[in-house]
Amino acid sequence: MKVTNGKDFWAGLMFCGTGLGFVLASQNYPMGSAVRMGPAYFPTMLGGLLALLGAIIFVRAFFSKIQHPINVFPFRLPVLIASIVIGGATYFGDSWFKNAPMAEFVAIALALGLFIASFGPRAMFVILIAVVIYGYALKPLGLVISTVILIVMSALGGHDFRKKEIVVLTIVMALFSVFVFVKGLGLPFNLWPGE
Amino acid sequence: MDFALIHNLSIGFGVALSLQNLMYCFIGVLLGTLIGVLPGIGPVATIAMLLPVTFNLSPISALIMLAGIYYGAQYGGSTTAILVNIPGESSSVITCIDGYQMARQGRAGPALAIAAMGSFFAGCVATVIIALFAPPLAEVALKFGPAEYFSLMVLGLVGATVLAHGSLIKAIAMTILGLLLGVVGTDVNSGIARYSFGLPELSDGINFVVVAMGVFGFAEIINNLEQGEAREVFVNKVTGLMPTWKDLKNSSGAILRGTALGSCLGILPGGGALLSSFAAYTLEKKIGDTSMFGKGEIRGVAAPEAANNAGAQTSFIPLLTLGIPSNPVMALMIGAMMIQGIAPGPQVMTERPELFWGMIASMWIGNLMLVILNLPLIGMWVKLLTVPYRLLYPSILLFCCVGVYSLSNAPFDVMLTALFGLIGYVFVKLECEPAPLILGFILGPLMEENLRRAMLLSRGDPSVFVTKPISGVLLGIAIALLLITLAPSVQKTREEAFVE
Repeated sequence: MKVTNGKDFWAGLMFCGTGLGFVLASQNYPMGSAVRMGPAYFPTMLGGLLALLGAIIFVRAFFSKIQHPINVFPFRLPVLIASIVIGGATYFGDSWFKNAPMAEFVAIALALGLFIASFGPRAMFVILIAVVIYGYALKPLGLVISTVILIVMSALGGHDFRKKEIVVLTIVMALFSVFVFVKGLGLPFNLWPGE
Repeated sequence: MDFALIHNLSIGFGVALSLQNLMYCFIGVLLGTLIGVLPGIGPVATIAMLLPVTFNLSPISALIMLAGIYYGAQYGGSTTAILVNIPGESSSVITCIDGYQMARQGRAGPALAIAAMGSFFAGCVATVIIALFAPPLAEVALKFGPAEYFSLMVLGLVGATVLAHGSLIKAIAMTILGLLLGVVGTDVNSGIARYSFGLPELSDGINFVVVAMGVFGFAEIINNLEQGEAREVFVNKVTGLMPTWKDLKNSSGAILRGTALGSCLGILPGGGALLSSFAAYTLEKKIGDTSMFGKGEIRGVAAPEAANNAGAQTSFIPLLTLGIPSNPVMALMIGAMMIQGIAPGPQVMTERPELFWGMIASMWIGNLMLVILNLPLIGMWVKLLTVPYRLLYPSILLFCCVGVYSLSNAPFDVMLTALFGLIGYVFVKLECEPAPLILGFILGPLMEENLRRAMLLSRGDPSVFVTKPISGVLLGIAIALLLITLAPSVQKTREEAFVE
């Protein structure tokens, strides 16, 4: 057997896995009956259906006339393994982090970051990690510094990084954020750290 | 023309012509044109981005502004299509073909003018159609019970999957995945927080702005960056906007046909601007002298541009009368209404007439603004196109982040959006269209609720969905649609379109 349609192969796995995941997770909730449906009823039905469709798509990948290679994404196995190891250790090693909530947070962020970095183009993980950093830096570091981080880092994700341009863009966007979002629209962001 | 209609419209214009609402209408259409002109950012991401900002607005101002973005984008998209041969908006893909050829022949001006006039005409007609057809439809919808609502939603979702691009089975799977993601969060009947992994942030469910922004906004940026910047800006000088009499004569029929087709297709679930423009172009190519198509036929610009604007506007009909979105933009509009504490549905028209009619009146005013905005300012929009993407995307990203963060003023939603960006990228790579997912996501909780109620009322007998006449007919249509799509001949053309 040979996979002819790599896209269907992965899509089938994705749908099938997600569907089964929902069915399994529903086991924790009451099912109820057709008359009085419990919280698990609707999702279990849908999850089963999704898993079935996923299976069909998966099987179809072997007979499809549409040709797609199996390597749909750029993929980095070592990074994925590192992500799983760190994530797993954080999950099962709850007690290590009893006195260091900050360390646990960093470990989770690291695991997630590595997971994102394990596949897809470089631009993707640089950008998504920049976004996550922005989200978590906004309160402690303030709007101005987080904006600088986001713009510079996301610009580094592109192909064509021009220093002077980015400096100007960063200044413009930081000013824009301060005057439009905070002064203009009244969003409750602090501008600088510790405000 | 009955008296009630005139009375209603006068309420509407009274609301829409207030200084504040005029201003928000203007902001909406201006922003819409802007993002329409710029390739790489669409109305879905923009509306999602602006939703948090609408917290502080009055409901009517918020809806007027957001609606303006959607139909404004249809105008802007054609400018880019004609001048640069890149669709600024997915719904103007088809305008590129003949519009760009006209521009190359030095007739960019007439092409732009006809596109704007066609859009304006279509916008006016569509506004009247909404005013005429929405009230009776809402009256019917008021009689709907849970069984009818459930079947209607099934029909809506089937419509969206059938009209999605590419593989049907994947579109169905995406819809179901959307429904499943929609039920994450606290179950209203039992109070159990489902699939929240013990995270308190998830007990209210996933915010749909997070899903929409991740799957449409972030994924689009990532994809654009992966493909590299291949946009060559080749802007022709625009000289002389006025079309000749011959142009006008040629295109008037096309505008009429495009408007009619777009108005009908916009109402369909899964319809809207994109489908309308394709259908209108295909129709034009079958009528009259077809020798000039692909070589700068003005009808090839007029028909799809009229159709996409008509479709964009009539897609508000199912939203305003039934409370059911027909495309992702309408799903976001539902979100905007819910933010304002308005439950979308047929009761909006009777309980909040000023909201409903004000929005309709604003559409007409907005269309007028767009004609004025587009034709004289064309030079400015063209300039915008020369801004390179490497400067645009960090800014878009920043707006997205600010928008998402202000949903709950906490970093969790930002992280979740990044995760959905990742998922969205996977969808793009696997050729799974995200539009049905968003519709499913919005309808998930509603569908579950109505299913539960219907089954409770029927004492667990699932046959109510078939034996109740309206519900039975709706389900029948849904099944017929699925069967037609599965027919071998239709399947074949779909597959071919897929390969292209």
